Amino acid sequence: MTEPIVQLQNLSKTIKGKQLIKQLNIDLYPGQITGFLGPNGAGKTTTIRMMTGLMHPTEGKVIIDGLSLQEHYEEAISKVGVIVENPEMYKFMSGYKNLLHFARMHKNVTKERIQEVVQQVGLENRIHEKVSTYSLGMRQRLGLAQALLHRPKFLILDEPTNGLDPAGIREFRMYLRKIASEEGVSVFVSSHLLSEIELMCDRVAVIQNGKLIDMRDIHNEGSSFYYVEAQPKEQVSAHFEQHDYNFVAENEGYVVEMKKEDVPALTTHLVQAGIQLFAVQPHQKTLEDQFLEMTGGGQIAEANSK
Amino acid sequence: MLKLIQNEWMKLWHKKGTWAMVAMLILVILVPGAITKYYEVKSTDEGSWQEVEQQAIQTNKEMLASEELTEEDKAYFEEQIALSEYRLANDAPSQKESSLASFMSFTSNMLTLVTLFTVITAASIVSSEFSTGTIKMLLTRPMSRAKVLTSKLLTTFLFGLFLYAVNVVVSAIVGLLLFGIGTGVELEMVNGQFVEKAVWNDLAYHYLLSGGDFVMSTLFAFLVGSVFRSSSLAIGLTMFLSFTGGMIVMFLSRYDIVKYVWLTHSDLTQYERGGSMIADITMPFSLTVLAVYAILFLIISYTTFMKRDVTA
Repeated sequence: MTEPIVQLQNLSKTIKGKQLIKQLNIDLYPGQITGFLGPNGAGKTTTIRMMTGLMHPTEGKVIIDGLSLQEHYEEAISKVGVIVENPEMYKFMSGYKNLLHFARMHKNVTKERIQEVVQQVGLENRIHEKVSTYSLGMRQRLGLAQALLHRPKFLILDEPTNGLDPAGIREFRMYLRKIASEEGVSVFVSSHLLSEIELMCDRVAVIQNGKLIDMRDIHNEGSSFYYVEAQPKEQVSAHFEQHDYNFVAENEGYVVEMKKEDVPALTTHLVQAGIQLFAVQPHQKTLEDQFLEMTGGGQIAEANSK
Repeated sequence: MLKLIQNEWMKLWHKKGTWAMVAMLILVILVPGAITKYYEVKSTDEGSWQEVEQQAIQTNKEMLASEELTEEDKAYFEEQIALSEYRLANDAPSQKESSLASFMSFTSNMLTLVTLFTVITAASIVSSEFSTGTIKMLLTRPMSRAKVLTSKLLTTFLFGLFLYAVNVVVSAIVGLLLFGIGTGVELEMVNGQFVEKAVWNDLAYHYLLSGGDFVMSTLFAFLVGSVFRSSSLAIGLTMFLSFTGGMIVMFLSRYDIVKYVWLTHSDLTQYERGGSMIADITMPFSLTVLAVYAILFLIISYTTFMKRDVTA
C-alpha cells in the first residue's frame, strides 16, 4: 500500500478533566474516500477540529504529508482543504470576493483558478451576488469552492451535503470521486446521512465515546446473503437446515447466507419440490445496519433491512 | 502579510457601519461649521476693531474699580487692559471672527469620535469573526494565528489613522472654504511680554497628544474583544473606563499606586497646559507607563488568541 497522506497518532483531547478523544490512530491514503461516523457526541467534530489546527491536541500528533501539524503548521495546513460544519462566509461580500479573500491566504492561487473552481461548483451565474442572498445549497457549493481553491491533497468535509438538492448531492459525490481517483486526493467525510456515506466512501471509520471502534471497507462484503421468499415456509426452512445454511426469518421469507454458485441449485430444488417461489435476491446489509450493530444499537440490527 | 491586511481592509469597507462612521465624522465637522458661518453672517457689524478694543479697555477699567476683587481677578483685568493697549499700539487686531485655525482647534475635539470609532472597529474585528463562525475559515489557512491577529491589529490602526486624516483634511477644507485664513493675530503673554501665539504648532501638538488616548483605548478594546470574543463588552468596557477614568484616578490619587495605572497617563493632553492630573509625573514617565501597558495588552491578546481552541 502507498504511504498514508494523513496520520493521526495517539490523538487525545482532554477538556476540563473529561477525555473526549482517546488515543485515536487513523491512517488516510491518497485517492481514498473515508467516511467518518459516530453517534452524536462521539467526538467527530473535536477530531476534525484537531486535524485542521482549530484545536490543540492534549496528546498525540496529526501528521499531514509527513509534516506534523503542530510543529509545521503553515506548511502542513497548506495541503488541506476544509469545510467545518456549515461553511460560514462573509455574508456582506459577494461570493467572488469571498473566494478572492481566501485565495490571497494561499500561495499560487490565480484569478483563473478561482474562475475554474467557480465553474466546477456551478456558481458562475450568482458568484458576484452577495452571499447573504444565497440559499444553503449555494453556500455549500461556495464552501466546497473555497476548500478546493489551492488544490489540496487532503480534503476534510464535515456534513458536506447538508442543504444540497438531490442533483447537487449526486454532482458533489461524482466530483469527490473524480478528484479522488484522478488527482489522488484523500477525502475524509463526516456525515449523518449513512446512505450518502455508503454511496460515496471506500471505507468508514467509526468512533464512539472518543474511541475508534471500527474501520472497514464498505464494498467488499466477505460473505453474501440472499433473500428468499417462498411458500410454504416450513419446507423452505427444512431445505436450508438440510444444507447447513445460516438463515433468519425476515418479513415473508428468509435471509440466508450462501454462495452465489449455490443459487441455481436452490431455485431448481424449490421449483421441483413444487414450492411457490416468489423471490430470490441478493441481500446486503446496509451501512445503517452495520452502524447500529457497531455502536450498540444491536437489537434492531438484523430486523431492519431493505 | 500585506495580503492579509488587504483582506481585512476589504472586509472592513464592505460593512455598512464603516461608511456610516466616516459619514458621521464628516457631518460633525460640516454641521457646526455651517451653523457658525450662518450666525456670523447674520451678526451686525459693531464698528471698527479699534473702537471695540477701546470699549473693552473701558469695561475692564470699570471692573478694576470695584472693590471686591481678589488678587487673581485684578491681575486678569490688568492683563486684559495691557493686551488691548498692545493691540492698539501695534496695529494687531484680535481674531474676532472664526478662522481656519480657530475652526480646526474646535474640530480637533472631534478626535474623541475618531477614537470611539476606532475602538468600535478594534472591538469587533476579531470578535465578529467568532460570532459569525468565519474564524474557522480564516484559521484553517497557511497563515499562522499570530500573522492573522497582527493583520487585524494593523488594519485597525490603519483605519484609525485614516479617520484621523479625514478629521484633519475635512476640517481644513471646510474651514478654508467657510472662514478663510483669517486676519487677526492671536497673542499670549510670555514672561511679561506679548508674543504671537504659535497656533499651528499648538494644534499639531494637540493632534499628537490626542494619540495617547487613541492608542491605549484601541489596544484595550482589541484586548477585550479578542479575549472575550464579545464586541459589545469590549466597546462598553472601554467607554466606561474612558468616562470614569478621571474619577478612578481621583479616587486613587491618595495612594502611590495611581502613578502606575494607565488611566492616569492615557490623556496626554494634560501636558498641553503644563499641568498634570497627578503631581510629580512627567511626560517621559507617562510615556514609559503607557508603553509598558501597551505591551502587556498585546501579550495577553496574542497568547489567548494563539492558544485558544476554536469551537465557534
